[in-house]
Amino acid sequence: MKQHFGVRQILGCALVLIMATAFTGSGIAGQVYKLGFSGAITGPTSDAGNPLAKGVEDWFKYVNDNKLLGDDTIDCTIRDDQYKTAVTKRNFEEYLDEGIVFYLNYSTGSTLGLKRDFEEVKMPTAPSSYHEGNLVDSNYIFIPVATYSENMVALAEYVVNNHKGSTPKVALFIHPSAFGRGPVDDTKKAVAKGLDMEIVEVVEHGKDLDNSAMLQRLMSKGVQYVISHTVQSPVATMLKDAMRLNVNAKSFGEAGKLTFLGAHYTGGSDLIALAGDAAENFYWTCSYNLTSEDNAKSKKQLELAKTYGRDDKAANSHNYAAGILQAQIPTQAIMMAKKAGLDITPANLYKMLNMMHGENEFESFAAVGPVSFSEDDHVGVDMVNIYKVENQVFRAISSIESVYMKKLRTGM
Amino acid sequence: MAQNHWLSTGNFFTSYKQEQRNFLTHLDTSIFTFFLILLFAWPLFFDLGNKMMFVVDNLMIAIVAVMGLNLVTGFAGLISIGHAAFVGIGAYTVASFCRTLGTSHELITHFWPLVIVISGLVGAGFGAFVGLPAFRLKHLYLAIATLSFQMIFQWVINFMTFFNQGQTIFVGRVSWVTGRVGRNDHYEFWYYVILVVVVLLGFGIRNLLKTKYGRCLIAVRDNDRAADAMGMHPGLTKVYAFALAGFFAGVAGALHAYVYRGVGFESFTLHESVSYLAMAIVGGLGTLNGSFWGPVAIKFLDLQVETLSEVAGQYLPAGMNLATALKPFTFGLVIVLFLMFEPRGIANWWRIVKSYTKLWPFRY
Repeated sequence: MKQHFGVRQILGCALVLIMATAFTGSGIAGQVYKLGFSGAITGPTSDAGNPLAKGVEDWFKYVNDNKLLGDDTIDCTIRDDQYKTAVTKRNFEEYLDEGIVFYLNYSTGSTLGLKRDFEEVKMPTAPSSYHEGNLVDSNYIFIPVATYSENMVALAEYVVNNHKGSTPKVALFIHPSAFGRGPVDDTKKAVAKGLDMEIVEVVEHGKDLDNSAMLQRLMSKGVQYVISHTVQSPVATMLKDAMRLNVNAKSFGEAGKLTFLGAHYTGGSDLIALAGDAAENFYWTCSYNLTSEDNAKSKKQLELAKTYGRDDKAANSHNYAAGILQAQIPTQAIMMAKKAGLDITPANLYKMLNMMHGENEFESFAAVGPVSFSEDDHVGVDMVNIYKVENQVFRAISSIESVYMKKLRTGM
Repeated sequence: MAQNHWLSTGNFFTSYKQEQRNFLTHLDTSIFTFFLILLFAWPLFFDLGNKMMFVVDNLMIAIVAVMGLNLVTGFAGLISIGHAAFVGIGAYTVASFCRTLGTSHELITHFWPLVIVISGLVGAGFGAFVGLPAFRLKHLYLAIATLSFQMIFQWVINFMTFFNQGQTIFVGRVSWVTGRVGRNDHYEFWYYVILVVVVLLGFGIRNLLKTKYGRCLIAVRDNDRAADAMGMHPGLTKVYAFALAGFFAGVAGALHAYVYRGVGFESFTLHESVSYLAMAIVGGLGTLNGSFWGPVAIKFLDLQVETLSEVAGQYLPAGMNLATALKPFTFGLVIVLFLMFEPRGIANWWRIVKSYTKLWPFRY
């Protein structure tokens, strides 16, 4: 019987070929690891959250484009939670439904709010919140850099170490929230442990547009240093008023004047943009490498930003660096797991993170020190740089690791 | 002529009791029963995932809260700008139990229905207290009194260490007859609980409005002097309206605490109060079904705008932060459009649809 190749046969062959190609292709394509990020890309604190999310996005693009994981890729969904814990919780549930292996969170409120969920589902998490409380009763939260408390206590130690004369008198200027208050308790504990400093007053700022009365009061109480732990705008207002009243110190510890210092979110390029000349001689701690430092690390950051078409503002933001580092942590854990021949699961990544010390610690171009974690230490970069504003640019003047925070953590 | 119990073609009431029935015809009863069965049954057939169940739970909690707000603002005509604070009172009642007894105390994990009722009662107590100025104040002045309560609530929560200064206070997992409700069943379990609460409270309002206690709310709203002349006590009625609203809000707050398994300050801010008010307006003030439509409309609008903001955020210049403005802008626009073109809310569309379909088949 004569057989003909009709349309059906041709279509059948084509289908077989397509299927074969598809299956072969999927074999070559490697695995896709699902990750999720939820942060304030819009809404309150989005001035920090927006560049941070860009840092996360760009780093994962870089990993995939440059095949840092071989044929495997990272698929990180980035969602905006507008700084609302309810939305963060919803995003997190969505990510769990999708089967993520690692979670990246943003705010302090939502990190504390979801802490129990992280424990229950055993999900390793890196937040953008460096609140010391994240570590309490928690096993799965890995803070990328020194905590807010470490920043504030490190500043206090810097004051004590560099102050000339009797016990320095310090005022703490803080955000009226748990975020602001947390480090105050640790600073007070450090003083109780022997840090030779007198905390004269703790000021919880409101939405004041004029701090004259407060500054005059601090002056009348003999305060010499003001350590801030809040966001940039209230600090900028305070610095401007201090300059107008001519009470800001021109050099560290200048007698009869106030020397202003601030932790993590108080500084950065946004502070200089807001405070202008008044920001001169402001001291700031941060664990991120700044692009104003003009070193090999900052060049890498700028290169990454340029590759993915980011504007100067985002490229030079330390929040962009924060996003990069936050994304580098799971990347490193995945690399370690692959090297050890383990499946990429939340449990294995958790195991890898706890082993990320000694020869497994890694250097990041975004941070000032090596990133290391262990079972007892869930803080990545322990070192903070002290930066000072000179001619409208933050310059690194010193590096420090808080001695007293270590004492407080170990209970010694 | 024998009366048709399935299709009423006119008003055949022969007693007040007949008029007070919840369902006028067997068809109404059947449709409602079918709808109720559908609401109970669908989770058994469709797995929405935890995210969407969480959204649905949130939506239904908002319905409970808005039912309360509709009682005080819609039926009694008293503007309340502090409703989220009352919801917060309920949530923080649960949180207070957790702080004093521990998150896994049996009262919280096993006797949670009792805790929910207690939270409602505490909410009612606070509602009555905040409603006291209603003896003297009216209209905007009374609204300011409720706003003050919102401010005081926020301040107290934000500063008192007992309330963890607004940070999350955890709530333990509850138990049911089948044992401890695990993470996988959590949102579905609470869906059923909230559904029961919504049905019970919905019937509660429907029946209340047929009694003298419900009618006096409307009488005081329409003309308090006339109501006074007819023997009602306008002041007490207003306080009682606030207490009722507080009860609903307290129950909603307790449900919120259990669904979130924690209580944090940011869910009970002034912004949330305005959102509840918006839901009541969009749904239809002074209508029971408006309390359902409003939350559904606003919550789904929220979800859609969130997605839109996210997409817009990638294309609009970050410096101008236009995507941030998109949500409040849309929210405000919807309220204004409803006030302008449909002040009676979505409930009125429902009324129109119902009256249209009444003509079929030859009802009159």
